[in-house]
Amino acid sequence: MENAIESVKQLIGELGLWLDKLNGLISDSMALLEKTRAVYTLIIRWVFPLLACYIFVRCALPLLHEGKRSGAWGYLGLENGVKYPLMHWENSIGRGNLSDVRIDFPEISRSHAVLSYRRGGWRIFDLNSKGGIEVNGGKIDHSAKIKDGDTISLAGIALTKLPSDIDFSADPGKKTFLSKLAYLGRHISSGITLFLIILFQILGMLQLCFAMSADFNIAVPVSILSLLILECLYFILTRRRGGKYTELELFAFFLCGFSLFVVSSGAPNQLYKQLTAVVVGVTAFSVLKGLIGNLNRARKLKYVLAVCGLGLLAFNLLFGEYRFGAKNWISLGFMSFQPSEFVKVSFVLAGAASLDRLLTTKNLTKFILLSGACLCALILMRDLGTALIFFVTFLVIAFMRSGDIKTIAIISGGALLGAVAAIFIMPYIAARFEAWGHVWAYADTSGYQQTRTMIYAASGGLLGLGGGNGYLINIAAADTDLVFGVLCEEWGLLTAITVTLIIAFLALFTVLITAKCRSSFYAIIACGAATVFLFQTALNVLGSVDLLPLTGVTYPFVSNGGSSMISSWCLLAFIKSADERRRPDIEDIICEELDNLNYDPGEDWMM
Amino acid sequence: MKLMYKRAVSVLVLAALLVFGLFVFTIRYISSGENWVQYPVNQHLYKNGELINAGEITDRNGEILARTVDEERKFNDDRLIRTAVMHAIGDINGNVSTGAQVIYRKKLSGWDLLNGVYRFDVLRTTGMDIALTLDAELCAVAYQAMNGRKGTVGVMNYKTGEVLCMVSLPSFDPSDPPDVNLDLGSYEGVYLNRLLSVSYTPGSVFKLVTAAAAIEKLSDIDSRIFSCDGFMEISGVRVTCPSKHGDITFEEALADSCNVTFAQITLELSGTILQDYAERAGITASVGFDGIRTKAGNVDCINAEGADLAWAGIGQYTDMVNPFQFLTYMGAIANGGVLVSPHILSDNGLLSRIAVAISKNRIMPGSTAEHLTYLMRNNVVSNYGEQSYGGLELCAKSGTGEVGGGRAPNAWFAGFLNREDCPLAFVVVIENGGSGSAAAGPVAAKVLQAAVNRLTGGQ
Repeated sequence: MENAIESVKQLIGELGLWLDKLNGLISDSMALLEKTRAVYTLIIRWVFPLLACYIFVRCALPLLHEGKRSGAWGYLGLENGVKYPLMHWENSIGRGNLSDVRIDFPEISRSHAVLSYRRGGWRIFDLNSKGGIEVNGGKIDHSAKIKDGDTISLAGIALTKLPSDIDFSADPGKKTFLSKLAYLGRHISSGITLFLIILFQILGMLQLCFAMSADFNIAVPVSILSLLILECLYFILTRRRGGKYTELELFAFFLCGFSLFVVSSGAPNQLYKQLTAVVVGVTAFSVLKGLIGNLNRARKLKYVLAVCGLGLLAFNLLFGEYRFGAKNWISLGFMSFQPSEFVKVSFVLAGAASLDRLLTTKNLTKFILLSGACLCALILMRDLGTALIFFVTFLVIAFMRSGDIKTIAIISGGALLGAVAAIFIMPYIAARFEAWGHVWAYADTSGYQQTRTMIYAASGGLLGLGGGNGYLINIAAADTDLVFGVLCEEWGLLTAITVTLIIAFLALFTVLITAKCRSSFYAIIACGAATVFLFQTALNVLGSVDLLPLTGVTYPFVSNGGSSMISSWCLLAFIKSADERRRPDIEDIICEELDNLNYDPGEDWMM
Repeated sequence: MKLMYKRAVSVLVLAALLVFGLFVFTIRYISSGENWVQYPVNQHLYKNGELINAGEITDRNGEILARTVDEERKFNDDRLIRTAVMHAIGDINGNVSTGAQVIYRKKLSGWDLLNGVYRFDVLRTTGMDIALTLDAELCAVAYQAMNGRKGTVGVMNYKTGEVLCMVSLPSFDPSDPPDVNLDLGSYEGVYLNRLLSVSYTPGSVFKLVTAAAAIEKLSDIDSRIFSCDGFMEISGVRVTCPSKHGDITFEEALADSCNVTFAQITLELSGTILQDYAERAGITASVGFDGIRTKAGNVDCINAEGADLAWAGIGQYTDMVNPFQFLTYMGAIANGGVLVSPHILSDNGLLSRIAVAISKNRIMPGSTAEHLTYLMRNNVVSNYGEQSYGGLELCAKSGTGEVGGGRAPNAWFAGFLNREDCPLAFVVVIENGGSGSAAAGPVAAKVLQAAVNRLTGGQ
């Protein structure tokens, strides 16, 4: 018995010694971890800006590269042997300077006709020309199909539709700086770019995990790894479907990574919500791209969208709740969202949809009414930033549609007067701008957020302090309104600038592809979407550093917020669907023809 | 579609706006980022408005005067030294606007454009540390010598411009700051460095400026005999001396500080000339060195007439002098009329040697400086008593600045050591201290003896 007690005592003693040892081991490893973490940040803060710049270049160059773009798709021949190449999906014909096919005869109107490539064949549309159009001797009423060899007579001047050259001889073109840059992008592999993005996000995740050693939150690695899986899945599925360029989506995924980084250091309990928003956003992106891939369907959508958009805003006005001084939230109990984010998407689409062919509809009345209603609702909601975004988007879309600078100048002038009047009537608007331009004088009142953004952005230097090592994130709304400052502080000024330049590049890309869109409809929605991205980013970034008034709008893809994330992906779908830089091959044409027979083979809505 | 493309360029205008804005921000970031990070709410550097994360400040001998340990700002271990150099270093809340922690906070914060405030713990850089030319022990001696009286002591090397001693009273222990509002009397102006940020009525020390003008403008000044009846009436207003000096030479008049003689000299010189010499001496300007600016003094002689002008010539009327500025004037006299720009940041690099070499500025002819040196040496020998300043080779002038309002006058004592091995200029001011040489002289003696001992390695 005594023996047993003795041995138990001994055992307990041993156990105690072992526990002590373990304790020492743990504290040793904690010290080691502490050192590892410091060394990791020391090295990795150099890697992030360089990698970000490299990823930017790798994504940008292939987008600039024109890929398989063919030469002329066909020709219009005059009787004297002069040939006019047809270079676009839609070709305007007329005497005007900006006509795609410029035929300088006095009989021909400035904008006489449009020749479109549709459903595997060409079709000519009369633009109410004075001289009229005859096809093979018969006068046409509105539009007519054109086959190779047909003779088109514009106000008596005969043109013959000729087939394209067999060899698709490349357009010699001018060697501009951009085209030289683009040439560099011809062999860049999307797969490796994706790999680099994943690498960036894994390194970022490790940095965040190191930074929070004390109160480790499992949601950080889980959500970032989930994002990586989503990226891989999307990439593989797209490749399977024979997708062309994925760089546009890679850009978005890269930005989404920063969104999760910011949420990780600010509000890790919202990570799963943000991740869900990314998943929903990617899905919405794919569905929307498929939906508007068909022009007829897109045109039908516009009424539904316009009504839905206005309905949402009206609902918001009645049942919304105030957050940060704007009544722009709807709470459904289990979740809450910002309707204005979604209205943005329908607004852009509805604005473009009433115009399906080049130069056919100049009537802006309906669009002006829709815009006016949206703006009034937003102003009543006191969401001035979003109202401003809507207004600028309206201006761009209206200009794209009509080219009517006079009308737009009148509208802008009216809006300016309205704004001045509004400031007099509603003094709280003026109060919001009192600090603008001299925030340091209001450093602890109305300039609070901007001064903090500048203080902490400067603290980060060019390379940043490392994710999770910032203080700005603790300021109210830092992960949405001041997200640029958070990027500067934690990831460095260089990375933050790169991220902002991505948005600017998306706009440049959109402008470059407008000439090659399947229809001006796509050109307009893409430009509308690019405008929203650009203007929102400008208000967010420049507002947070006191170059513009702080209006509290989100940074597309990067700010914390589900509604903003989903609507950003939807807008990206508009740019993506405009990216149609090659002549469809024969299968696509068959697809379209089948579609025309009301047969939907569940076509490529993924890509 | 060409048309669409042309119109789409409107989007590029917006893109240009964004890129331009980003560009402007980057420029601002580069030019003002170092100021932005200094805003005291920056938690990387401050805690509750207190600077917690900054480099070390040491004195000329490597004595640590301030440093950060475990996110807390610590000062010197010795309470006396902490208190003596409080104004030079600054308190924890940055209330002393000329303190090193305020003036050099950019360097102390270690901010740079590339790294921001990032610092790798193990490889701590010394780029954020600063060394001062001060001698902390000497400051402590000066603080003790002042014995709690309000005022200031300054000592500088007039050949190199190094400031060795800078003490201002009242002071407090920055590690245990008192609630100054509880005793506004004894903490009056406690956050002001009285050497730099205050100007006082100079009294008789100003006679050195008048003497400099007299030496150059009145060629027979040494051979003249002045007459003092103890007072002088100028259009009904009296200029008085403490006692009747009788017949007196220029040399004796400076040593005995005869107001009547100097009143006569001033009236003979005219206000314009006196103003000119005061400005040449730098009295009316602010001294700028190492990012610090002193308070400018004041002399308005040009429109003064009669008794006003006479009083201005003997350091009363509206005359105000900043002690540090006067210290540099003493240094210039000692250095043969050449003023070496003072500095407090210790930097023995080539650049700073060049800076010292080119910052020399002659403010009076060598002969005038020699003459003044002779007169100031005579002051000590014939009036203040050489036995009190044994072996120092002291040249000095005392001053008793009347402040009115029934308060005792401010005691001044300023001068230099005429020694090659210890080229030191000094100034002592004791507020309401009474007679200049009696009150401020002993303080100067203690500080200068200690300074000489420390410079020559003791005796």
